Amino acid sequence: MRPYQLLPFRFHDFKNENMLLVNEVGEFLFSSKEEFNNMISYKLDPESETFLDLKSKQILTDTEIEPVIKMLATKYRTKKSFLYNFTTLHMVVPTLRCNSKCKYCQVSSKSEEAFKYDMDKSTAKRTVDLIFLSPSPNIKIEFQGGEPLLSFEIVKYIIEYAEQCNLTKKKQLEFVICTNLTLITEEMLKYLQNHKVYISTSLDGTMALHNNNRPFRNGQGSYDIVTKNIKKVREYLGEDSVSALMTATNDSLEYFTEIVDEYLVQGFSAIFMRSLNPYGSAKRDMYSLGYRVEDFIESYKRAFKHIVNINLNGTFFVECYASLLLGKILTPFSAGFVDLQSPSGVAICGVIYNHDGNVYVSDEARMLANDGDTTFSMGNVNENTYQELFHSDKIVSLLKKSCLECLPICSHCVFQSYCGVDPIRNYAEQGEVVGNRMMSTVCKINMAIFQCLFELIKENDKPTMDVLWSWITRKPIVVGKQVSHESN
Amino acid sequence: MKARFNKNIRKLHFGGLDMENIITKLEDGRIQIKLNKSVYEKEAIMAAAYKLTNSCFIIVKPLENNQLGVYFEPKNNQSEDELKAIAKDYCNEVLDQQTRLDVEKRYGNIRDLLVKQAFSPIENIKDKINI
Repeated sequence: MRPYQLLPFRFHDFKNENMLLVNEVGEFLFSSKEEFNNMISYKLDPESETFLDLKSKQILTDTEIEPVIKMLATKYRTKKSFLYNFTTLHMVVPTLRCNSKCKYCQVSSKSEEAFKYDMDKSTAKRTVDLIFLSPSPNIKIEFQGGEPLLSFEIVKYIIEYAEQCNLTKKKQLEFVICTNLTLITEEMLKYLQNHKVYISTSLDGTMALHNNNRPFRNGQGSYDIVTKNIKKVREYLGEDSVSALMTATNDSLEYFTEIVDEYLVQGFSAIFMRSLNPYGSAKRDMYSLGYRVEDFIESYKRAFKHIVNINLNGTFFVECYASLLLGKILTPFSAGFVDLQSPSGVAICGVIYNHDGNVYVSDEARMLANDGDTTFSMGNVNENTYQELFHSDKIVSLLKKSCLECLPICSHCVFQSYCGVDPIRNYAEQGEVVGNRMMSTVCKINMAIFQCLFELIKENDKPTMDVLWSWITRKPIVVGKQVSHESN
Repeated sequence: MKARFNKNIRKLHFGGLDMENIITKLEDGRIQIKLNKSVYEKEAIMAAAYKLTNSCFIIVKPLENNQLGVYFEPKNNQSEDELKAIAKDYCNEVLDQQTRLDVEKRYGNIRDLLVKQAFSPIENIKDKINI
């Protein structure tokens, strides 16, 4: 007769003779190797602090198992709650035309005169009709490009028709435009203000970096006009109406802290430190734009420390990716981020409708298609029904192959509860959707960031933990004031 | 080719640890590890090998006397010492993988039950627990 029952958990030889133990729902505990060996050999003293900690984290139990399974099941359901709503994020490409010629353009954008790459009205209408067939009570329509403002009439049509559909559907409807902001006018801003549209733009860092990475088609830099228009957007739509994304090229790596400082100067309170995705021009020119994943990780860690220090010195500023991971580590909830889900969020959480009505399982799948590889096409809004698009064998097969719980290495990975899978990235990098984890750049980056975050959690320095919690709660810390929270 | 596998040229000693009859260097430059199937399961042996596929070429073959041979061949022009280091890493990794399998067995079907329960409540869970 065993003195206690072990419950499902994963473990990892952490650092300095410590083990990291994570149960099936993401609750974690550090233990010494000796305690770990005692635990799996059923030699733990039931009165010991370690035993009680493991019991409270539901890594073992000495009571009836049925209620424990039910409690863990409830927590598991919360972690997987993204599955219940089905597709929430609907990306629409009103045009593939763009006035920028970004070095790493991942979508293979077309020139400003290439009007055949615009979405027509009937395709736009059919797209909105399909979007509203989604069972999700929350619908976010995100305009991608090309540059959506080059086809603003279609953007307006989609917004107004969606609002009209929503009079009867009564969903939580949200609009976002992903724009380089270079073409925005006061008239457009007034319209976006009236329809509560958020702006997502791109800022690659300092003037030199941004102009180098994101020039206009005529070769001129876009930094001055972008930063001027960020201010204008805030005047019309409010301080929090605009967010920005950066993409790191080879030229960016040594300037990560300067990029963070530039975001602060431009009035942003968050940054998403993104590595280069291997699509479109980024893939074709990887030799000149790319870098070793280890170099990105080094730069990321340097910037991360810089950002923590900025917060410790009294300025609230979030690193978005770390914030998403911390939310998954330190709270019972899922992140609502398609790349951090298992099964993958492709099609079931986010989907993209291209200018020609073709539907793809993700933006990256659309990027591949723009380069001629339509492997991840779901069909076309003008030819297929909702059932045919979303409930096809192709989608089911893709999802079956994107469950971390079943993938080699991931199935035993201690970080599994917090991680996700991107089958399209695996396909782009390795030629097949499962891929070999040891060759995955995403896995290397995620593992490094998880390790970095868990080292901080293990260290449990109070001011630093206050900063990390403030990113999750989005409530700035007050420097010098003790914040009450318990880290694991 | 098979004949060469069985010709152990010399025994290797790593870090003072006598790995006699476990790790050997073959004539053709490959490293061979012999594992006893009564100690390690196939799943652990394969999972450990899979984890090192980015470092070198690995072949797993059955041997006599309830043993399995794991063969390491350079993939990225590694030196002999580097290949030995990979083989040593493999020894630790296979132990780690076997521990995971052993621990997993102690949950019985608890993981399956909690996932099922999360999405569709199970009647009489108690009767279905198999540990």
